[in-house]
Amino acid sequence: MTTTRLLTAALLGAALVLSACGGDGDDAGETTVATRTVTADNGTVEVPADPQRVVTIGNTTLPLIDMGGAPVGVTDVTASELSLIPEQQKATFQAATSLGSSGDQVDMEKLAALKPDLILAQLPDSEFEQIAKQLDSIAPTLFWGLDVEWKTFAGALAEAGNVTDGLSGQQAAFTAKIATIQQTYATLIKDTSFVNVDRWASSDPGTFSIADFGCVEIAQGDIGMTFPEAAAGADPLGWTSLPFEQIAGLSKYDVITYPVDAAGRPTEPFAPVVATNTWKALPAVQSGRALGVFCPGNNSYGPVLRYLDSLDAALATLPAKE
Amino acid sequence: MTALALRRDDPGTVPVPGSRRRSIGLAVALGTLLLLLVLSVMVGSTAIAPSVVWDALFHPAADIDQFAIRDYRLPRTVVGLVVGVALGVAGALNQAVTRNPLADPGILGVHAGASFAVTVAVGLFGIRDIGGYLWFAFAGALIVTLMVLALGSTRQGQSPVVMVLAGVCVGAVLRGAGSALELTNPAAFDAMRSWNAGSIVGRPVDLLWPVLPFFAVALVLAVAVSGPLDAMALGDELAAAQGVRPAVTRILAIVALTLLAGGGTAIAGPIAFVGLMVPHVARWIVGPHQRWIFAYSLLLAPILLLASDILGRVVMHPSEIPVGVVTAFVGAPVLIALVRRSKASGL
Repeated sequence: MTTTRLLTAALLGAALVLSACGGDGDDAGETTVATRTVTADNGTVEVPADPQRVVTIGNTTLPLIDMGGAPVGVTDVTASELSLIPEQQKATFQAATSLGSSGDQVDMEKLAALKPDLILAQLPDSEFEQIAKQLDSIAPTLFWGLDVEWKTFAGALAEAGNVTDGLSGQQAAFTAKIATIQQTYATLIKDTSFVNVDRWASSDPGTFSIADFGCVEIAQGDIGMTFPEAAAGADPLGWTSLPFEQIAGLSKYDVITYPVDAAGRPTEPFAPVVATNTWKALPAVQSGRALGVFCPGNNSYGPVLRYLDSLDAALATLPAKE
Repeated sequence: MTALALRRDDPGTVPVPGSRRRSIGLAVALGTLLLLLVLSVMVGSTAIAPSVVWDALFHPAADIDQFAIRDYRLPRTVVGLVVGVALGVAGALNQAVTRNPLADPGILGVHAGASFAVTVAVGLFGIRDIGGYLWFAFAGALIVTLMVLALGSTRQGQSPVVMVLAGVCVGAVLRGAGSALELTNPAAFDAMRSWNAGSIVGRPVDLLWPVLPFFAVALVLAVAVSGPLDAMALGDELAAAQGVRPAVTRILAIVALTLLAGGGTAIAGPIAFVGLMVPHVARWIVGPHQRWIFAYSLLLAPILLLASDILGRVVMHPSEIPVGVVTAFVGAPVLIALVRRSKASGL
């Protein structure tokens, strides 16, 4: 009996010692990690003040990397998106574990195995609703819908991912660039009617769009350039596919902006528009007032700054040609 | 009985007009088609003066509005005419071969074959433009139809019922495989979303040249088999007694309809109801005479296609509705009305 008690006591003691050893890191971490609260579309969530193992889902990946973050797990981005980011950021993305092709295809087992301390997600509401509980059970999760304004989104993302230093530098550069463009082209901005046209890989053959979303929102909202915009409450103009015969209608605008790649060539989907006789006959095209502008993205400051550089360079060509 | 009087071909079918009345009807259809060809060049989502249209066609100049006529409206009109003819005659052949008044070219797997081939072209080979995957679509339609023909052939010869079932089965398998590829490949998904709607926008006339010889051969074949198909409507045994070779006739008809439907689908995507409704209407007008049905289908199908395309250009201005969507909207209620009328047109 005594032997049994001694053995039991020894086993319990050993178990306690082992459990203390095994739980040392985790328990100590949980008790000592500082936290703060961040508000996102899924409410106010308590997150680690300095998260070390961040997982990004949907559209949060590239903006976080752009601000200096290094997620441990990511959902895939398209090859064209990846081709537009700087090499260093590309390396950061590729070093992360791929968790699936999109927000609604996340491999939850793989995600849990990464032991994240923070999950950041931006995807359609309906897709998030399907995985919200699973994500919350793995780590504190912050979610933003697709309609959040990009600067608000960047600020919240930087705060959550503790990359506010990177954000501050980008914000200062953005403010300075906007002021420079407004000052340099003040008369042009005031007196010129612009139109931004686009075409995407998903566009129907023989159609294009007058695009009022994307980088052009920055030219319009932050710089003050005049572009056509949808009536209040109406769908964005860019949602309407226009047949090529309506290219002729662009004649009424002073300056046309259209999408080009980093090398200044029309993007692959837009190339058929540039090849049409109608495009070539436009007054703006014939007088050199059709400007190719590079837009690598519009949901974080890094790509927006590159867009502003491209826009600045394009606008600089106008006075000499007029 | 005068030539203009209705005559009854056999008990139980609708009264059909005599040949003079059929000829008059054909002339009216031809006039309507010519009118629509003119309207198709005149009407669009941009208002262009008739004088500019005239100059664009007969006094060409480097004018921006003239480009709109010559580069967009004229090609889509020609493409609509050719695709309409192809789908109409293909539908008539198909209904005759399958002895099914509600059959369309899709029932033998033509649409599914073309659609799957385009998905493969875009998803696996990275081909993006219509000219690039035209041949894939054409080849896909041909291969699948030949496969269906083989599956539908038994020791007793080809069975229309078995062929239809084979077409439905092969079509279902290919649609599933195509969907799997589309869901894992965003580029294929985008391309198929557009292609599957069925449209004649953005198709240059150059796209037609490669398929026109096939269409010409198919139309000759259609004329050649029209008589034997009339005989086969009474049954293979009776047709054989009249010197018709049903198996050969059926194979030639299937080759013709595959070339026509495959080519038409390759150019415009799967356009619903044209190949189904037009031959049905033609049979309703002229009775069970394949040569007349082919002639009427040849005119009525481009009428339906061009009228639907013109409608699609103006109802959602400044955007447009793909012609395949309009033919479905127009075709479905008309077809329902036709099949519900007291005397349906049998084969």
